[in-house]
Amino acid sequence: MGVMHRESAAGYLTRAPRSSGLADVLEILLDRGLVIDAFVRVSLVGIELLTVDLRVVVASVDTYLRFAEATNRLDMQAVSNAKGLPDLFGDAEESGAERKTKGAVEGGMDAIKEKIGLGGGDDDEDDDEDDK
Amino acid sequence: MSALYLYGVTRQRELPQQLADRGLFLVEHEGRAAIVSELDAAPVQANRHNLLAHADAVEELHEGGIVLPARFGTLLDDHDAARELLALPDIELLLERHRNNSELTLKGTYEETILAEVSRPLEPLREAYRRAPTLEAGIALGEAITEALYNRRARDLDIVLQRLEPFVGDVVVSEPLGEYGALDLALLVRRDAVESVDAALEELTKELSPPLHLRLVGPLPPYSFVSLELPAPV
Repeated sequence: MGVMHRESAAGYLTRAPRSSGLADVLEILLDRGLVIDAFVRVSLVGIELLTVDLRVVVASVDTYLRFAEATNRLDMQAVSNAKGLPDLFGDAEESGAERKTKGAVEGGMDAIKEKIGLGGGDDDEDDDEDDK
Repeated sequence: MSALYLYGVTRQRELPQQLADRGLFLVEHEGRAAIVSELDAAPVQANRHNLLAHADAVEELHEGGIVLPARFGTLLDDHDAARELLALPDIELLLERHRNNSELTLKGTYEETILAEVSRPLEPLREAYRRAPTLEAGIALGEAITEALYNRRARDLDIVLQRLEPFVGDVVVSEPLGEYGALDLALLVRRDAVESVDAALEELTKELSPPLHLRLVGPLPPYSFVSLELPAPV
């Protein structure tokens, strides 16, 4: 899909003129859009694969602990930056912690993406009824 | 049994060649048109390929004039059913109401540094966790951070909504996705106000970024603003 992306000067605002991935379309296509019960039927399968675990619940013990650890680590970075500590000790420890926390967070997201991917991948062979 | 897959409803017009090449065609009735393709077998697979194909078709067509996008997986029995649908007064009403409208979706996420910001007032809990990083201390601190993050999200959402208010006809607010999710909005805007929304958001990032990152998608067909509650026929 020839979707052009551009970013704001500082890079904090990203634009896309069209939906360009599952994350963009899942909600608007599955939960929204025109439905007129009396005249049409909605008939589809595979939604479970796409939506299971999509909504990450923030309030979990797992999240609490990650947040606590990350805050601690961000503190340490701030302190070492402020005091200009020699890199040998401080950095080694920080990057270790960072790797660990990032790994945990991204691991969660990867699991979700995998699930989404699975939904697409499984069905791609026999799905050409309605398009392209 | 064959059926018609419904992508959406639009005004009578020419279908772009690349959509016709994919088997899409229009069933017309009194100046309105159902965007459909033949479907051999139901149900429709809700997979990446089909979802993106549906979005691609309605978004492509919406560039040239209003499209009321159908919910994914919507089927019509035949051409007559399509014409009956097009004859509904509410369809004309929606086409007219959204004549110059588009949807923009806006999603926001925070950088991890948001945690340091929101936990600044939580020094006693942070100190306790630094001193003894036990499970209990971690949960107590994390829970407080999570609450502070919710409050920050609510604050930023207010700021964004307030700033966009002059350009937005309607808005659907959803729970943002993920631990660092900040906001998830569907905005109904006039086509000629899209640039203003863009500019307002650009201004906003000067205030709220970092740690806020925004992603703006559109102009799209008004996916989130076409709900139609009709009683079943007697």
